[in-house]
Amino acid sequence: MKTSSSVAQLWPQISAALPASEDQFLLLFSDTVESSVLDLLKRSRRHLYSQTSNSSLSLNAQIVLDYSWEKLNTGTWRDVDKEWRRVYSYGCLFKVAALCRGGPSEDELRQAIRTCDMGLLMGAAIMDNILQVIVGILQSQFKKSCEDGDDQGQPEVKRMKTECPLVPVIREELAVPRVKCPSLESFKTNYLLPLKPVVLEGVIDHWPALNQHPWSIDYLRSVAGCRTVPVEVGSRYTDEEWSQTLLTVDEFIDRFISNEDKAKGLGYLAQHQLFDQIPELKEDIRFPDYCCLGEDDEDHITVNAWFGPGGTVSPLHQDPQQNFLAQVVGSKYIRLYSPEHTDKLYPHQSPLLHNTSQVEVESPDTQRFPEFSKAPYLECVLQPGDVLFIPVQHWHYIRSLELSFSITKRAETE
Amino acid sequence: MRWFGFGFNAFEQICVHGKVTEDAGSDVKVTCPTELKSHVETSSCCLKKPGEIRASWSRRASLHLDGDSCVCLAGFVTATSVESCGVSGPKTCGCTDAVISEYHLTLTFPGRVEVWDIQKKESTPKWSMEINTQSDHTLKLPLVPGGYITNKPPFYHSLSPCLKAKSLALGAEHALLLCVTGDVYTWGLGSHGQLGHGGLTSEEEPRAVEALCGMPMSSVATGGWHSVCISAGGDLYVWGWNESGQLGLPSQGVRKALQQNQHTQQGNLGQEVKSSEEELQEVEKLKEFFISIQAFPALLDVTPSCEIKAVSCGSRHTAAVTTTGDLYTWGWGEYGQLGHQTLMSSDEPQRVEFFKEQQLRVVEVVCGTWNTFAAAIKEELSCS
Repeated sequence: MKTSSSVAQLWPQISAALPASEDQFLLLFSDTVESSVLDLLKRSRRHLYSQTSNSSLSLNAQIVLDYSWEKLNTGTWRDVDKEWRRVYSYGCLFKVAALCRGGPSEDELRQAIRTCDMGLLMGAAIMDNILQVIVGILQSQFKKSCEDGDDQGQPEVKRMKTECPLVPVIREELAVPRVKCPSLESFKTNYLLPLKPVVLEGVIDHWPALNQHPWSIDYLRSVAGCRTVPVEVGSRYTDEEWSQTLLTVDEFIDRFISNEDKAKGLGYLAQHQLFDQIPELKEDIRFPDYCCLGEDDEDHITVNAWFGPGGTVSPLHQDPQQNFLAQVVGSKYIRLYSPEHTDKLYPHQSPLLHNTSQVEVESPDTQRFPEFSKAPYLECVLQPGDVLFIPVQHWHYIRSLELSFSITKRAETE
Repeated sequence: MRWFGFGFNAFEQICVHGKVTEDAGSDVKVTCPTELKSHVETSSCCLKKPGEIRASWSRRASLHLDGDSCVCLAGFVTATSVESCGVSGPKTCGCTDAVISEYHLTLTFPGRVEVWDIQKKESTPKWSMEINTQSDHTLKLPLVPGGYITNKPPFYHSLSPCLKAKSLALGAEHALLLCVTGDVYTWGLGSHGQLGHGGLTSEEEPRAVEALCGMPMSSVATGGWHSVCISAGGDLYVWGWNESGQLGLPSQGVRKALQQNQHTQQGNLGQEVKSSEEELQEVEKLKEFFISIQAFPALLDVTPSCEIKAVSCGSRHTAAVTTTGDLYTWGWGEYGQLGHQTLMSSDEPQRVEFFKEQQLRVVEVVCGTWNTFAAAIKEELSCS
């Protein structure tokens, strides 16, 4: 167990982020949270502010986590009372405190970061988003101890496999129109209102992600390597083999990007609000004003990251919101079908998948889906710097041609 | 008949915390079956040995159902209701059955059912209803004549009389009904395969588990997200979520944890240790053998040549009693609820050796959310 002198600074920093005394540490919940659970939370709080051993704090934190985890898994996610997600976050907070109070080892530091991430992913913000504050402190600490030479990571694979992606040829008559830096008015008039897809060129050239901080594997590792993220494993979400798992960004890159092993299947860091979790990355992007037209409420915007190797596929599907897809690294092949042709696209019947087509776009089963070839479409190959506007309910199919990082921005309609 | 408990004990629902040792861990997680002592109270009914047990997450209820029946509560009982036998809080004298949850104590009396809020000190039930106990006095809660009682409002739900309900088990998000005919029906959410119809869709109305048609069942039980039933012939059928091995089928999570445990132990002993990446690959190679969700009933061989007599489930573990008096447990074990003197989970049924060693014959089992209670009698010594 190696500790460096900077670890001694860790607990004081975390302590400073917590309420100064037990009295100021509020535990307020609705009646949904049973008094037995509240009793355990209070016990944990007592352990936190007294000199009791870390094992008692850790034990109580784990009970809170295990119980709230069961609540989070009861019923549909949408119906889970927010109070249980808050309880889960408190459990994470107490667990992190127990891990960090006594000069944590590198492994305990990793566990603490992971615990913060679990709270950020599955819990709900508590105490002014204290888990976000603490994970920031922990990450700085972790970087320091890596620099001190504690890190026993494998040597970086400097030369990645040079990829020569097979780029589909886009026929002019089927191409999604491309426009360079249109005025807001012309975008609104020609594309937004008539619901016509278009590729906007030159509108994100100013992004640090494309300039000062060009995003690369190394950069992402340095900013977010130790952070835990949800990863989709399997060819596509309609497959039986498809599943979701949690990995650190380092593990994800090691397993699915750097040492691509087809036997392990495809891994895709997909549809994840990475920029809420890792605010440092948010500084590298800023969506242009086209993306705000018609939206007055900041709170309903969802920005998702999509990061994966070549070959990831999002099957043909439609969303009830409009979408802006910005390409940052690598290229993607995208095909679009207008909702007027939904009848030729054979959506699944089940309520879970009714927004997804049954057809494999690039190798359709013409016997099962005879009408599909009659449906007109537009297609494009999206390159770094391009932003694709996908109108509401427009069917879209996306395949990455090489290592790719895209970002989508859409407005919630709820 | 003596009752033993093991597993989650953070609220002293199994036994009082040791005041001498500093070891919070062994207080909260009772890994070895421990005999339940009656309360040290002056109230006369508490001196009787408990007749039946009901358990929730933080409490245990002892039902004394002979003579002046009453219910005693142990565990997370509000500080002012130490004398929990009917003096303050729920008036349980004369009750015929009880069910306990984190929020409520549900009691049946001749002619009525009452739901009491046990988080508050109240002198009247939160809800009550007249029931016609003449029609069938063998019905056990949550069944009542005409329907069943849940632990959240609306409390009463009716059931079609065509179903001829015999016994009902309620999970976190589903229900499992045994009919007089031996048929089994399920309804509720099905996203963890717990309805047994082969898919993940929900059912609003009771739907027969067709895979078991023609095989009459004699008893049913539910965990948080899994279902279990015993056939007339003593076989055990399981379905639902297997994330901690609670179905007794191979679980990836359990195997990984076992490997990690070995890994640590080998490391401690200074033995050569495989890299975690290699181990991960080994486990992942066997991916197709692991079952995370079992959407159709599967026959589980608990132990060869033994019939199952009784079964009960906690949220993520299962406990079964054989006709020969052995207790088997499997599933989530991190609070000691499997009784194998360890905190490991298990995806294979294992006998709780304690009872064998003590020459005790297990006759009944009741699981709380994270613990297990077993009733045992002294084994007749046989000449061998």
